[in-house]
Amino acid sequence: MSNSEHLANIMVQCFIDAVKNGVDLVPVVADSTSTSKITPFVEAFPDRLVNVGIAEQVMVGTAAGLALAGKVAVTCNAAPFLISRSNEQVKVDVCYNNTNVKLFGLNSGASYGPLASTHHSIDDIGVMRGFGNIKIFAPSCPVECKQIIEYAIAEQGPVYIRMDGKALPELHSSDYKFVAGEPSLLCDGDEIVVCALGSVVHEAVAAANELKEKGVHISVLNVSSIRPLNKGTLAAQLNKAKLVVTVEEHNINGGLGSVVSEVMAENACAAKLIRLGVADGDYAAAGDRAYTRQQLSIDSVGIQSICQQFLQSE
Amino acid sequence: MNPFKLEIGELERKARSIRRKIINLNANSPAGGHTGADLSQVEIVTALYFRLLNCAPDRTQDDTRDIYIQSKGHAAGGYYCVLAEAGYIPEEWLPSYQHNDSHLPGHPVRQKTPGVELNTGALGHGLPVAVGLALAAKRDGSSRKVYVVTGDGELAEGSNWEAALVAAHYQLDNLIVINDKNKLQLAGATASIMRTDPLDEKWKAFGFDVHQCEGNNMASVVDVLEGLTPAGKPHVVIANTIKGAGVSFIAGRPEWHHRVPKGEEIERALKELADV
Repeated sequence: MSNSEHLANIMVQCFIDAVKNGVDLVPVVADSTSTSKITPFVEAFPDRLVNVGIAEQVMVGTAAGLALAGKVAVTCNAAPFLISRSNEQVKVDVCYNNTNVKLFGLNSGASYGPLASTHHSIDDIGVMRGFGNIKIFAPSCPVECKQIIEYAIAEQGPVYIRMDGKALPELHSSDYKFVAGEPSLLCDGDEIVVCALGSVVHEAVAAANELKEKGVHISVLNVSSIRPLNKGTLAAQLNKAKLVVTVEEHNINGGLGSVVSEVMAENACAAKLIRLGVADGDYAAAGDRAYTRQQLSIDSVGIQSICQQFLQSE
Repeated sequence: MNPFKLEIGELERKARSIRRKIINLNANSPAGGHTGADLSQVEIVTALYFRLLNCAPDRTQDDTRDIYIQSKGHAAGGYYCVLAEAGYIPEEWLPSYQHNDSHLPGHPVRQKTPGVELNTGALGHGLPVAVGLALAAKRDGSSRKVYVVTGDGELAEGSNWEAALVAAHYQLDNLIVINDKNKLQLAGATASIMRTDPLDEKWKAFGFDVHQCEGNNMASVVDVLEGLTPAGKPHVVIANTIKGAGVSFIAGRPEWHHRVPKGEEIERALKELADV
């Protein structure tokens, strides 16, 4: 396992590599040069970045126009504003027009913590799932992030990548191969399957490791690929379980909790389901990451507690 | 190069022919239409497709072609009639406007209709996308020009003004915005719903090269559009039009925002639009 790395740094390096490899890639930002950590790209290619000012609607519309002209347009902006402010531009200019735009939602979930709910993005997966053709990914660690971005740049058409806002350590080995649509099994256990999304996969793995020391073996599935999603692979894992727990820094409606519940229903999975995340009708608490996750029971302690309660009740 | 390059008199005859098509197209629509909006922009779109645009039906994938964006997507009917007259789509498609599984839906869909460059319908989308297209052309050293027609009511959508800032900031003098200023919108007179005047001063303050024309006078439209010269800033042409222009009982009547001609109205309109 290597040192932690901020996913935005991975993103920017992927952009630099793409341009060096001949991809006509154009980043579009809405004043979000520091958020996107894009300076190394600008130093490498001083005339390539498009900055439209604090204006997410035109950021997305301009990106669609650049894409129609043959560019690989990538928007880099704080996820809450990218998704909410430019909702119709994402729907119409990017998805409906099927333009080759890659949307990077930076500092997603409750990454902005104490800056409170205007800055939290806990609805982005749900919103994107409503748009028919956009691919949706949530990388959990640097090596996976790099491969998802490389896949997205090579792929024709709209892609949304949900990026966490903190440095993250590796979860996968260096020989990991991302396959779009395939969840990755990080811990293989007995009766409980924890499905996690993005940076909270780390919490699930930590919970699994601590439970293992107490003799409890749970499975952890990293569901980084929301669309496409191989539902057969997911259903096969879920059908082995007596309890399925979904964990996400997102509302339980519309995000991973919804995805998993749909797959379970469609595949007659008999397991009990517990969805952890921002509760129905609620917003994430303002506070640092540890506090917010503790409030939502999506930290390692909360996940362990849910699993142990289930085993005791059996 | 435009394959038609028509003179003013020929363009005027084309415009009448297109207006007749608009009447028939809307008369055949099972789902209403936007007859007033279709008619107000006829001279603008006819001048573009039959004289100005560097584009042709056999060059719809050519990277150097000029781009036309119909931002006021509800005027799709008039746009389709121009595309048919210019040979981008078969004339036989026109009676299928808004029918089930038609090539001609109620708003433009590029996956359905050859020649359509952008799916529009929701307002305030054409200009931001046009900015991206014009910016790409600038950076690529292309001679491409990007034309966008907006409504005047449409200008209440704030995304237009975000895009205006960007267009001026990046000095996109290959971008030509045409406001079809017919002074009416869905709920009534634009001046009473949301006043946009003084429109010329607004565009000027946003950094645009501002022009006006009589939007239903072909000579005026052509004169202004052909007279635009690179000035290091994007262009806007405020085209003063009449909603429903060309048909006496439709012109200037707000109810024709959504109406389509029926029964005797069809014959009356076609008679008024007969070639002289």
